[in-house]
Amino acid sequence: MSYAYLFKYIIIGDTGVGKSCLLLQFTDKRFQPVHDLTIGVEFGARMITIDGKQIKLQIWDTAGQEAFRSITRSYYRGAAGALLVYDITRRETFNHLTTWLEDARQHSNSNMVIMLIGNKSDLDSRREVKKEEGEAFAREHGLVFMETSARTAANVEEAFINTAKEIYEKIQEGVFDINNEANGIKIGQQATPTNPALPGSGGAGGAVNSGCC
Amino acid sequence: MFNNFKNRFISAIAPDLPPLPSSEREHQRGALRLGSGQQMPDKFPYARPPFLQLLTADELRASADHNVRPIIVPRDINLLPWGTGYAECVNSGKSEWNEDQASFSRQVLSDPEHNHPDLPYTYFGIFDGHAGYGAALAASHQFHHILHEKLVDCIELLLPRDADSENGKLQLNATFPHPIYFQRRVSKDDLIIGALESAFFHMDSLIAQDRDRYRDAGGCTACVSLFIDGKMYVANAGDSRAVLCQRRAGSGTSAGVTPSTTTEPNKIEPDPVDAAHSYPTAYSADHTPETERERLLNVARLKPHLMGKQYVAMEYAKRPHIKDMGQRILCRQGTMKGWTYKTLTRDDLRMPVVNGEGKRSRLLGTLGVTRGFGDHDLLAINTGIQIKPFLTPHPDVRQRDLSQVVSILDEHNEDGDYGILVMATDGLWDVSENDAVARTVFQTLSRYPKEKHRYTMVAQELVARARGKINDSGHWRLADSKAAATVDDISVIVIPVHQYYKEHIEWTHNYTRELEQRRRKAAEANMAQEAVNVLNGIIAEEAHVVEEQPYPHPQHQQQQQVVVQVEQVPALLRQEQEEQEQRAQLEPEETLVVELSDETPVQAHLETINHTMQKVQLDANVPEETPEKTTATSNKQRNNRKGKGNRQ
Repeated sequence: MSYAYLFKYIIIGDTGVGKSCLLLQFTDKRFQPVHDLTIGVEFGARMITIDGKQIKLQIWDTAGQEAFRSITRSYYRGAAGALLVYDITRRETFNHLTTWLEDARQHSNSNMVIMLIGNKSDLDSRREVKKEEGEAFAREHGLVFMETSARTAANVEEAFINTAKEIYEKIQEGVFDINNEANGIKIGQQATPTNPALPGSGGAGGAVNSGCC
Repeated sequence: MFNNFKNRFISAIAPDLPPLPSSEREHQRGALRLGSGQQMPDKFPYARPPFLQLLTADELRASADHNVRPIIVPRDINLLPWGTGYAECVNSGKSEWNEDQASFSRQVLSDPEHNHPDLPYTYFGIFDGHAGYGAALAASHQFHHILHEKLVDCIELLLPRDADSENGKLQLNATFPHPIYFQRRVSKDDLIIGALESAFFHMDSLIAQDRDRYRDAGGCTACVSLFIDGKMYVANAGDSRAVLCQRRAGSGTSAGVTPSTTTEPNKIEPDPVDAAHSYPTAYSADHTPETERERLLNVARLKPHLMGKQYVAMEYAKRPHIKDMGQRILCRQGTMKGWTYKTLTRDDLRMPVVNGEGKRSRLLGTLGVTRGFGDHDLLAINTGIQIKPFLTPHPDVRQRDLSQVVSILDEHNEDGDYGILVMATDGLWDVSENDAVARTVFQTLSRYPKEKHRYTMVAQELVARARGKINDSGHWRLADSKAAATVDDISVIVIPVHQYYKEHIEWTHNYTRELEQRRRKAAEANMAQEAVNVLNGIIAEEAHVVEEQPYPHPQHQQQQQVVVQVEQVPALLRQEQEEQEQRAQLEPEETLVVELSDETPVQAHLETINHTMQKVQLDANVPEETPEKTTATSNKQRNNRKGKGNRQ
């Protein structure tokens, strides 16, 4: 399927806050109560429509464990949007937001749109972080805020789509250099018949017979 | 001729036999691909190793992001045996796709006659492609099928047998007790090494055959490890490398590797003692124009026409210049080890067959690797000379007998002297010394002492270090220095060898027990045999023996059936036949023709009756030709005929 733009997202936050579940809910519309620890990085993709334009979201779901932090840092580069996730039932995941935000600001391009997400809103009885606290943190750091539930799917669509809307607005304002793929935005090739998202469109591996190996 | 047929067979079946159930989506992708090019199709659509489970085009696209170069590890680490680790990362843009491939396979060699216990084995392969991803992809899909076939070819010599075991303990490197068959002593080692070598040649010829039908596959290196019969074999062709990383005994405890609970997990300093005690042992040697200079110059010397008067098969102590013409120059050729003088002529000014030093050395000014698969259509830059005649798929094979390893395992060194086998493409080795890799392996392991995915963490760490970080000007740099990191594809397999050996020991116990059981059974059966013989004699006298059933072919034993024409069966036997049919219906899978020696007395009796009935059969060949004449046949018989019909 062709698209007008491709936006690259990254999902970050402490281990166990539900990053992988948010991705699964958004791409597959299902919830997996027991999810294996993410080691390394996983990818998801979905097409959305904004302002009548087809936009493809390519989402990188990262490992939350401390051990993977240095590798995760290298993935901020080339992301147009980030979902920074904490768990409303675990205060420490909220406390770590500052570190995550510093990391993100330091390693990403300055225009990256960051959405703050308080996940597991369905577990209100076990809530440790008030909604107002999330809102305050977001306001203070200039983020968009939303509480979601990957289990019930509440606000999951909105979280991903609102982020895309904001990126789209920034493109309209000319803030993003959309010709630099390292900014996490790619212009689709709707005019051409071949699909750029498919392997092989660049010939036999795109290599030349020169000084290989 | 037969080989040719086998090749076609493998070519035909392999695309439908991906090691993991991802075929449907792959086929969809393949179908979509066909539409996009006027060229010949790919034999295999681009994919990453199946155990990574990157199933969609979107995931493939994201994994090949040249700006970020994500490090991909298996989503489900249980897909690889023994906790084996794997990680990979795409190049920084030199080719559109990751041209490395990796694969593994776990197989069992089974005796078709079930006379010997099964022999399990595990294989890992890593393939570094160049000039396209086709050859490496083909090798990752097909090599293990070929290897399996080669091992099956000598299965009767490989399978464990009674003669091998002495007091339940395996003899080392047992040679075969059949001097009649061999003028030279051939060991199991020789057969396995031979299987690996011939599989390499076979794989290369398969790629050659596919040239007419599929898009140019390019070429690839191949580094393969095989764990079989308590040994580790590494076969390598090209500049990928397998290195066994070990730690000197006791280093773990004396170094006092602090359990991660006492310090912050992210702040553990590399343990200096630990690092000093690790050491690498290469289990492969790189094949580059430089390391293979002798062989290449010799090929050129023996077959000068291959150079087409464009190159010179000579090595000079000093690069010849036109101004030195007529002067003496130190040189050597072919397999010479020393140097000799010659007078410089115009011919010496041609381009040398091998030029450049080290990693930059090139064959015919073009190729940096001299063994592997594919490259059948590769032409030298500028001159258009065929390069393939200089290349060979022939691997070096090295072997380690794990039963000879003396190792005291401890809490901090659970891999002991068995070591960790790191197999990786040159993306890793170009920027990491073997020593440094061994250090990283043990540093990482001590950082994750208990984690199930610790070997994956090692693989990830090795890839992360070799890939480095991208700086503001877009260059990849090593983290600990300003030196250039690798811009090539990187793939790393990290195999805890001890885990294999544990599995092997378990298997040895099981099969020793099995052999004992067989022996006991055989002894029992011998006693029963005499009783059976008596019965057999009585019944045979009563029956009217007309024709003897030919002895069944062993492979068809399972299908061998009894065909009886009821009209001619004496009344006495008819009753027995009904019993027989009842039994057949109750146990439809039961083999009717069984070696007597394997049976208990009661079963043996039934078998004897059955055997007798076979003899009663009047016209052995009737059923297939005139099935309507046999009025009373059992269900089993009918099924059997159906089976035969299908085969025809």
